[in-house]
Amino acid sequence: MKSIAGKIFFTALSVLYPVLVFCGLEFWGLSPRRLSILLLALAFYQFLGFTRNKSDSSDAVSRANKIKSVALMGFMLICGGIAFFADSMLFLKFYPVLVNLSLLAFFGFTLWKKPSFAFRMANLGDKTLKNSPSRNFVERYCDKVTLAWCVFFVCNACVACATVFVGSDRLWSLYNGLISYILIGVFFAVEFLIRKLMQSKLQSYIPVCELEPNSRPEGSIVSFDGESAKTWGDFVSDVSKVRVFLESRENAPWIVHCEDSYFFMVALLALLQSGRKALVTANRQEAFINEIRKPEYGFITDEPFAGATLIQDLLKTECNEIRFGKFDKGKAEMVMYTSGTTGEPKAVFKLFLQFENELFELVKVFGDEWISRKVYSTVNHHHIYGLLFTVLLPTATGLPYRRHRIDYPSELASLVNEKAVIASSPAYLKRLAADADKPFDFKCSPIIYSSGGPLPEEVARKACELTGFWTMEIYGSTETGGIAYRQSKNGPIWKPFEVCKMSLGENDCLNIKSSYILEPEGFTTGDLVEIYDDGRFLLKGRADSIVKIEEKRISLPEVEMRLKQTGLVQDVRVVPMVGKRQYLAAAIVLNAEAREKFANTPKLEINNFFKSHLLKFIENTVSPKKWRYLEELPQNTEGKIKMRDIQALFEILESPNFRILKMHRETGTFTVKLVFPATSDFYDGHFPTFKLLPAVVQVDMVVNLAHALLEVPKELQKIQRTKFASPIFPDVPVNLTVSYNEEKCKVTFAYTNDEGKSLSSGTLTMQSSLSLPKGT
Amino acid sequence: MSDLNTRIKEVLIKALELEDITPADIVDDAPLFGESENGLGLDSIDALELGIAIKENFGVSFAVVNDETKKHFASVNALAAYISANSTNA
Repeated sequence: MKSIAGKIFFTALSVLYPVLVFCGLEFWGLSPRRLSILLLALAFYQFLGFTRNKSDSSDAVSRANKIKSVALMGFMLICGGIAFFADSMLFLKFYPVLVNLSLLAFFGFTLWKKPSFAFRMANLGDKTLKNSPSRNFVERYCDKVTLAWCVFFVCNACVACATVFVGSDRLWSLYNGLISYILIGVFFAVEFLIRKLMQSKLQSYIPVCELEPNSRPEGSIVSFDGESAKTWGDFVSDVSKVRVFLESRENAPWIVHCEDSYFFMVALLALLQSGRKALVTANRQEAFINEIRKPEYGFITDEPFAGATLIQDLLKTECNEIRFGKFDKGKAEMVMYTSGTTGEPKAVFKLFLQFENELFELVKVFGDEWISRKVYSTVNHHHIYGLLFTVLLPTATGLPYRRHRIDYPSELASLVNEKAVIASSPAYLKRLAADADKPFDFKCSPIIYSSGGPLPEEVARKACELTGFWTMEIYGSTETGGIAYRQSKNGPIWKPFEVCKMSLGENDCLNIKSSYILEPEGFTTGDLVEIYDDGRFLLKGRADSIVKIEEKRISLPEVEMRLKQTGLVQDVRVVPMVGKRQYLAAAIVLNAEAREKFANTPKLEINNFFKSHLLKFIENTVSPKKWRYLEELPQNTEGKIKMRDIQALFEILESPNFRILKMHRETGTFTVKLVFPATSDFYDGHFPTFKLLPAVVQVDMVVNLAHALLEVPKELQKIQRTKFASPIFPDVPVNLTVSYNEEKCKVTFAYTNDEGKSLSSGTLTMQSSLSLPKGT
Repeated sequence: MSDLNTRIKEVLIKALELEDITPADIVDDAPLFGESENGLGLDSIDALELGIAIKENFGVSFAVVNDETKKHFASVNALAAYISANSTNA
């Protein structure tokens, strides 16, 4: 009790010091020597406080606090002593300067030995802060506040010091006894207001599984589309309607597919909250849905589909009941679909817990940049990246998201006045880079994410020129969730999320363990990797046969399996191709039945036959765009079929003038079986009734194929030793063998018929690209 | 009018690198996208590419994409109508 009274007394003495000194001098006629007793008394109090505080805390800050007290006390004694002995006013006036400097020293010390003073205070005020995903952001903010206080103390100490030497005692007293305190008060009030404002935005993160009807203001915007918007109130009521419907039925898994992000989130949350397993599929092809749908399964969607529940119908119902609330994230089950190496579409089982853990991590890393933005998307929310970034994250952080995707690069122009987060993909950004000719006039640069495949650095650079933001790439997969992130301006190295532990798995592939992977042994991806000591890593390509076509993952064996299902395919290889776009191409060997069936069918119709079969199971984007019908698949002498050889076939443009039926390629040589149909343009200008393949066409064919398959230069220097022994007739297959001697730059060729009889042959000397005269 | 249709078809085949298809194979009013009996079965990536090609070749762009503009991509006829309506040098 005594000590509290003492504390109040001395604090009052300290605060009122400038006024007391002034009054003592002006009105009470006290000498500086007498007044110095006051200063010495304050020093004595410091000493008491120091000795009483015996807590032997080894904390650096409490030690700093002690040192500060000792130093302050020392200076006070010195000043008080001089004032006493010299009976000088000057040294009495130093007290406010000393107080400011000691506070500066203390605040500055906590900036050096973190955590900073403001962050300590924030932690005392909010015990949950330590484990909050926004911790890093708050800490950075508090550091700035502490720094601002330091600057304030420096200024205040300077002014206080100036009042010691310049101006009257009255001014000194006025500033240090009143103005200085008002400044401190104003500074504190402003900082407090700013902090509250920041906090209300920061603390908007609520785990999805803990959302309640009153979690957000009723009128806050959840989702929007043009002028119309859905509020939190609408959302709660819509989820309730769907829940009432779901819970009136037997508990069974539901397939969910809604193009509209808002409908999707309503359906998904209703399913999760009512404990229904949710099967999230981007693929709504009828055959695929029927394949995954067991009789008892429901199907909720926003587009008419036979036997499905249309979500719009459910939302039209009148229902005033609010059924909305927490659910157990550890029991909420979901299934996401990818394509598997086995050939069957792969279902990946998920507990909502995994998404919730990942959301926490994403908010921690990216959340503070998202504050007060709107979320836009160019990607599909039925895949994990879209799901997390375009609907779950906005829902967990209370940010509004747009109901429909951005489809076209030019559409970005309509967002220039918005503060946007755009979840995008390399496919979109590539087109953006190719399409836009001048930078968008963004008031505030959007934050752009990209995932689904590597984003070429030049595309990221161009996108940055256009939007002002260097795209943040996310690396992950359906099985693992997000693994790492990078901005390629900082190089190709990936920085893993803190919770992800990397190691080398089988075949030098990346193995990953994290709080959002259920298996304790982690998950081994198909990506080859080099891991550095600090945990960051470099990706070195895919090791398996799953490829990505414009960010859509597809397993090549799956497409091949589906083609074989037609019962018309003897052999098939599907290869990924890169041209203007990425696409798949299928090289097919038809079986006897098919050869008969398609004997007089134009190629386009055969293509369409296979294509329409595939579209029952796979999305259009990943269905093959180019087709070759061969007598056998290209193989080397060991019978190995190489993807590279098949790709080479597709790099030779399909022409109505000739067809390749077979191809064998070895280093420096190849044999192709060719046929030149009667309808070919090659026969034009010759005898219309007696068609022969002109010699010039034969040579040209050699040059073109040698260029395509053996990378022979295209410029012909001279033709030697050519013999055109027998004519090549329409529709009669011939074999062309070509060899290339790179040193001599010579190509030898021979056309033979099926019996091996030579039809024509010769040697071509090519213009070596290396020996071209300089300057041309 | 049919000249424009042929030009659109040529642009389409060139821009999308369509194989085995000649302008004559494309039915004027057949849907370009999605599954159908006589359609081209183009996909969403093709749509982006096509939008760019139309802009390059005809100087007509699709600034905002909504259901309205998607209709203009429905068929060659629809594209021709949109281009002749919006082309400045028509």
